[in-house]
Amino acid sequence: MKPQDQPLTSEQVGSVLKMLALTTERELNCSECLQHVGEFAETRLASQPVDAVMSSIEQHLALCPECREEFEALMTILQAGK
Amino acid sequence: MTPTEINWPVALRATDTAEQAAAMRALRDVLHHGLRIALSSRGDVSEAHLEDFAQESLLRILDRLDQFQGRSKFTTWAQAIALNTAFTELRRKRWQDVSLDALLADGERLAEPGMIAEDVLGAQEDRQRLVAVLREAIEHQLTPKQRAAIMGELREMPFDQIVELLGTSRSAAYKMLHDARRALKQSLQAAGITGTDIQNAFNL
Repeated sequence: MKPQDQPLTSEQVGSVLKMLALTTERELNCSECLQHVGEFAETRLASQPVDAVMSSIEQHLALCPECREEFEALMTILQAGK
Repeated sequence: MTPTEINWPVALRATDTAEQAAAMRALRDVLHHGLRIALSSRGDVSEAHLEDFAQESLLRILDRLDQFQGRSKFTTWAQAIALNTAFTELRRKRWQDVSLDALLADGERLAEPGMIAEDVLGAQEDRQRLVAVLREAIEHQLTPKQRAAIMGELREMPFDQIVELLGTSRSAAYKMLHDARRALKQSLQAAGITGTDIQNAFNL
């Protein structure tokens, strides 16, 4: 069965609703996220508080599974290098 | 010299071609090492893939050196680009056979009752009401392309592929998706459904 033939899972329905709950008037796009995600990852690794820009990255990562997957991979690399 | 001691933006722009080539080789090794760590658990990534991803990433990084603002370590910024390059390619392979017609047809199915199975809804009344409002909004508030794009996102189709299939620009696709999400959210709010209701119904 191709991906597009499968009915939605509970997780997918939940994720679209979560996506809607997190939707705001002004959001970053994936390119803007990519530009700042390195700084966000280092901030998280150092357990430092996040500023407004970093908060918007956090919000984008909660909405975007692709950017979140890449962020988690980046954290894996940074943690391996600690 | 270790990667942390190199002034990468300067070295990569060096007018001395030997110095620049050495910096490019060193950065390529850093990227390759990082990609190996990040993608080690995937069965679909070979050594040849890692080589290709590192090389392609290096070219992208050189192309956008001016965008590095020094707000993180250079290697962290570069690794983020390398990961984006690698994951974009891996996702593209998974979805390469999907056509615009299939995506649009999938989007049309989004509002159909059978698309969300009964066992997904469960017996909870709040879940059933919430999904009913959502389905109604999907059917009446969204355009066919918006439905297709939302469905593509739900299926975890790469955003670049959605853009390509819809024959639009990235910024237009972003706006289209953002407008769709805002319209659906407004419908939920108009029905008195809050973010907390959603979280409670789906244990988010």
